[in-house]
Amino acid sequence: MYAYDQFDHAMVASRNAEFRDQVERRMKGELSEDEFKPLRLMNGLYLQLHAYMLRAAIPYGTLSADQMRRLAHIARKYDKGYAHFTTRQNVQFNWPKLSDTPDILDELAEVEMHAIQTSGNCIRNVTTDQFAGATADEVADPRPYAELLRQWSTFHPEFSFLPRKFKIAITGADQDRAAVKWHDIGLVLKRNEAGEVGFEVSVGGGMGRTPVIGKVIRDFLPEKDLLSYSEAILRVYNENGRRDNKYKARIKILVEAMGADEYARQTEAEWERIKDAPIDVPEEETARIKSFFAPPPLEVLEASVPAVDEFAKKHFIFASWLKNNTNQHKVPGYVNVTISLKPHGGIAGDATDEQMELVAALADAYSQSEIRVSHEQNLILPHVPVKDLPTIWTDLDEAGLGTANVGLLTDMIVCPGLDYCALANARSIPIGQAITNRFDDIKRLENIGPLKIKMSGCINACGHHHAGHIGILGVDKKGEESYQILLGGSGAEDASKGTILGRGFDEHGIVDAVEKVVAVYLGEREEGEEFLAMYRRVGPQIFKEALYGAA
Amino acid sequence: MAKKITGPQMIIANGLDDGRVVFFTRSGGWSPNTEDAAYAEDDAVESLLERAQVFVANNTVVDLQAIGATIEDGKAFPAHIKHAMQAKGPSVRLDLGYQTSLEWEQA
Repeated sequence: MYAYDQFDHAMVASRNAEFRDQVERRMKGELSEDEFKPLRLMNGLYLQLHAYMLRAAIPYGTLSADQMRRLAHIARKYDKGYAHFTTRQNVQFNWPKLSDTPDILDELAEVEMHAIQTSGNCIRNVTTDQFAGATADEVADPRPYAELLRQWSTFHPEFSFLPRKFKIAITGADQDRAAVKWHDIGLVLKRNEAGEVGFEVSVGGGMGRTPVIGKVIRDFLPEKDLLSYSEAILRVYNENGRRDNKYKARIKILVEAMGADEYARQTEAEWERIKDAPIDVPEEETARIKSFFAPPPLEVLEASVPAVDEFAKKHFIFASWLKNNTNQHKVPGYVNVTISLKPHGGIAGDATDEQMELVAALADAYSQSEIRVSHEQNLILPHVPVKDLPTIWTDLDEAGLGTANVGLLTDMIVCPGLDYCALANARSIPIGQAITNRFDDIKRLENIGPLKIKMSGCINACGHHHAGHIGILGVDKKGEESYQILLGGSGAEDASKGTILGRGFDEHGIVDAVEKVVAVYLGEREEGEEFLAMYRRVGPQIFKEALYGAA
Repeated sequence: MAKKITGPQMIIANGLDDGRVVFFTRSGGWSPNTEDAAYAEDDAVESLLERAQVFVANNTVVDLQAIGATIEDGKAFPAHIKHAMQAKGPSVRLDLGYQTSLEWEQA
């Protein structure tokens, strides 16, 4: 993992001291709310429906065991004993007091964490593949590049007041687990014919009220040029993006208006002008950053462990967990374990302080003290020896973390919705709970197969409903909560935008609607055909008929 | 632009330090309990707002606004679901909201 140097420590400490002073002045009335609000937002502090909410960054979703322990401590000492992991691989505390936030930020700084640029019209936390550096299907580890982008974008003076927020995602794997095409900039690591590493670069992806899939503007960007090319993209956006209308201010609107070819032309022209300026870092610095992400020294082990197979025969949930919640590691005899934060009937993405402590302890014991957060709101233990899986699952299961549903229907993305969020129009969490309770049968889930349901409580789409195989969008229909259903979205390498099927349902009707959609799929699928493939083959009509009757 | 509210209104805000939701009361203070909330209609809303605004100026509350209310047995309840949620706390963590405890001291 990356370790702060003296500059990182000094920058965060100085920002925290500044914010402590701002909070004190606010409490004394020396700053009005109008003056204070932009300052608190720059430090990740929102005022939500019931309380303040502090969003801390988890750079590219990578945490150490000590950092996780600190999050647990903060949840216990300053909050109500739990935290929420988000679709941007960040963590949110729902109940901090304003006067406690400077202390919380100091506690985070002690473990090299902060909340800088987790809000506001700036470059946000760079997200990536939760299996980065540990998966078998990877060209290169994307995290050193994400770290380079983090350092370049933190307090970047030119990009601190962009027209709107800006999100970058990067993956190094064939399978896109970071939804890169749905980001303002999406980077896919690849090798050219000469075997050199570089990036396919797309721009203008985004969800929200205007969902757009990013357009590729460069097939291969040499890795050494990442920062100067990113600077050129941002500069074109910063100069031309709309500032007159918040809803038209994201880069996706500019790219659509300008055309991807013209956006590429302007970016290339700007890049030509600046690429020899001292923006990109020297090779030694890239090598230094890469050294923090060197693969752990893992001794090759037997991939097949009879004791594990025996345990699986005795515990059918473990057998399912083994199949669904583990991902092949690049070193034989190891896997990456996904800990589902989607217990059936539970709150997606929430973890208690005790659960966080357990995950930290397991990371110390079995995963090189490393933890990852996925954009699908789960936690990952990378580099885990296969032989240790029965012990790990038993410990997780006792703590309510043993659900074997990763990649299946109940592994839903669910935003906080109207239970917490000031922007929401409808509740999301109770719908997630009702759906996961309705499908609380692992054998049934496995028969249905891979199926991603993603749910948002408003049009801002934090719950990625546009990218769900089944998407659910909560809306306000004359003061009542109503839920629309979308089909056919994807956040993977075959990114696609879901289509709204028809009128919305109430909170009970939407659960029935999901069950009817699944029934249509089960009735019509061909041998081995997954939900999304089947939908793409047959289209929406038969689903519409099942939900609304023949027209 | 926000829709103009018609009919009875009540005043909602968040505590400056803890962010907790409070309603301006008939006795001129703040309470998490809607049953204590003052309400008014038409021109009287302005004077209710003026009285409540004092507490913004003295740093007791933040994010103050007049919201639509429904009146039952002479008591005001938030009309919109968003404000009703604010009055109750999260519907999914009944252990955390105001449902279980109204011990919060009244200003």
